[in-house]
Amino acid sequence: MSVLERPPAPPAAPRRRGDRRFLRALPYLVPAAGLYVAFLVYPMLDAVRLSFFSWNGFRTSEPEFVGLRNYVRMLTNDPVFYTALSNSVIWVVLSLLVPMLLGLLLALALNRRMIGRNLFRSVFYIPAVFASITVAAMWRWIYNPTVGSLNQFLEAVGLASWQQQWLGDPKIALYSVFVASVWQGVGFSLVLFLAGLQQVPAELVDAARVDGANRWQVFKAVTIPALRPTTAVVIILTIINSLKVFDLIVGMTGGGPAQSTQVLALWSYQQSFSNHDFGQGGAIATVLLVLSLCLVVPYLVRTLKAEEH
Amino acid sequence: MRVKKMLAAVAAAGVVATLAACGGSSGGAGGDDELTVWMLTLEGSQKTAMDTLVSDFEAAHEGVTVKVETRSTDAHKDALRQVAGTDSGPDVYWYWEGPGLGGELVEAGLSKDLTAEYEKYGWGDRFGEATLSNITRYGGYHGVPFTQQAEAIYYNKELFAKAGVTAEPTTYAELEAAAAKIKAAGITPIEFGGTVNWHVMRLLDSLLETNCGSETFDQLVTAKTSWDTDCVGRSFDQLKTWGGEYLNEGFQGVSNDESSQLFYTGEAAMAYEGTWFDSQVVDNGMDPANVGIFKFPTGTDRLYGFGEGFYINAATKKADQAAEFLDFITSTEEQKKVVGVWSPISVNTAVTPATDNPLHELWPPLYDAAKGFYLNNDQNLTLAQTTEYWRIMNSVLTGETAPADAGAQMQKFIESES
Repeated sequence: MSVLERPPAPPAAPRRRGDRRFLRALPYLVPAAGLYVAFLVYPMLDAVRLSFFSWNGFRTSEPEFVGLRNYVRMLTNDPVFYTALSNSVIWVVLSLLVPMLLGLLLALALNRRMIGRNLFRSVFYIPAVFASITVAAMWRWIYNPTVGSLNQFLEAVGLASWQQQWLGDPKIALYSVFVASVWQGVGFSLVLFLAGLQQVPAELVDAARVDGANRWQVFKAVTIPALRPTTAVVIILTIINSLKVFDLIVGMTGGGPAQSTQVLALWSYQQSFSNHDFGQGGAIATVLLVLSLCLVVPYLVRTLKAEEH
Repeated sequence: MRVKKMLAAVAAAGVVATLAACGGSSGGAGGDDELTVWMLTLEGSQKTAMDTLVSDFEAAHEGVTVKVETRSTDAHKDALRQVAGTDSGPDVYWYWEGPGLGGELVEAGLSKDLTAEYEKYGWGDRFGEATLSNITRYGGYHGVPFTQQAEAIYYNKELFAKAGVTAEPTTYAELEAAAAKIKAAGITPIEFGGTVNWHVMRLLDSLLETNCGSETFDQLVTAKTSWDTDCVGRSFDQLKTWGGEYLNEGFQGVSNDESSQLFYTGEAAMAYEGTWFDSQVVDNGMDPANVGIFKFPTGTDRLYGFGEGFYINAATKKADQAAEFLDFITSTEEQKKVVGVWSPISVNTAVTPATDNPLHELWPPLYDAAKGFYLNNDQNLTLAQTTEYWRIMNSVLTGETAPADAGAQMQKFIESES
């Protein structure tokens, strides 16, 4: 065998280097990974496991394996599940439309040079730093049917007939809570889109203008493609935050009236921790997990593929 | 590349966090000479009163210390559930006595049967029959009564007079007629906060007692008779009438604290509250001389209310010390010091009612006239049943469920559970 016939060896070297780097990094990664597994991965898997058991949460009672019974009951005998599922879907769709669009429009407006730009940016972002329970308390007062500022304002401007029981009417309560969510959440999208707009190459915009593109054409052909990574992040965060919406609803309606503002995350919590039915709660949490994965993963994969290309 | 990593991290963390459940904490018993007591958060006069009971006990029992750990309502429930079956729980815990709450812990084996202690200390003679009924309902003796709370209708005398209501209603028909007169006078007849379901539930519970009678009421809440019956339908029908005609506008969107303001400020003529409301009425600036209290006119002999007690943990190694402590704090001498703090009437029958608040004096005749209590249904029903009971109640009030269908829905849920 001649020297020339030997198989090439060089590719192994970078891999070994990579392995060594990984081994060196491992001690630093282990504590965080351990905490992640203990406090996130394990409870998640345990919730899925519990969905196949009947258990009231007492250590004195052994969980009883019931197979798919919790799922069957959830799908056929739970009077709240479909309301919660439908509300969660509505919440995701509205969140993808309203605060995202508002955030983008505000970001475009506040990305240009103008007097008081930083003040406006702060004003729009401030609600995002409030705790949800604070936002809930504030909006509960705004919506109060007798002393709330919204109904009083409507009366003052001669629109008394528009007065509503904003949180007491099951037909509109969910949307009333959603308005508070938009008020709180739009600043977050705004900041992300503003950061994205800073990354739009000025030379591309200038080149497009030199080529005779108008504002809309520049926006469509340059700004939107440049914002694609930011938009992906905003969409994924919006979907995830929408699916786990919890505290704002707890603070404003507790899921009522008559469970009309119930969502999957809250219903799962209430089944487990209020009704002491951890199997049923686990089944709902598992549905929520599957729904999250179904919504997030395909979009993530598609975006990553687009990035590769 | 950075974007890819960011997206991957965001998605992974977000999806996992969506499902991750919360953990909890557990307590632990102290040393040999320390007694641990778990109860609800204490504030103001209640904290002072508990401190007095504890310091008196410690002074009378040299070397023994009592450590009181307090939590908010839900945290207290969670903590006790987590320590059931372990030796890390308290020696003594405070809890509601009803089967949906205290009974659940008895069933879980957390409570020690105190039959021997009742005999030793003669507690059977210390407490009244009605008070003891929730202690003996699980077989043996579980818990030592600490409060017996009653609920009734508080009313504003001036508003009643203004509306032409000259006497306290003694029948349901009189109550509804009074509400109609008050409404006609431009006053909100009664206030409720619908976001906390248990508030409006008081009205529904009392309508069930009114229409079904005591015996059927008890059979309903113990699933011994079907909810799909006329008296239940009639109760839901009346509930809908009250919701549409006599409750404060928009009650579904406000809490009990918010709706109580209507009573304090003279905008609502009635409030369905309990013994704890005496002090709130005065604290919120009402003249107690302008406030009256009458029992919801169910037509039965029972008063609406619930008991709260101290239980000895079945796993404690200090059961004798714990029993000694409970005997001490419910003794006549100690109860005289704290009567009126938790309730105007002590569970110790030898203690005369409190007189520091004029409203306290209105309760003894109601207690004396009552032959037992009917419990709030969130203490009677299982937790899941309570959630469904509230859902049906609210959906009747919002018009989504016909009153005639409400009983059948409740019955269907109860059957699906078994």
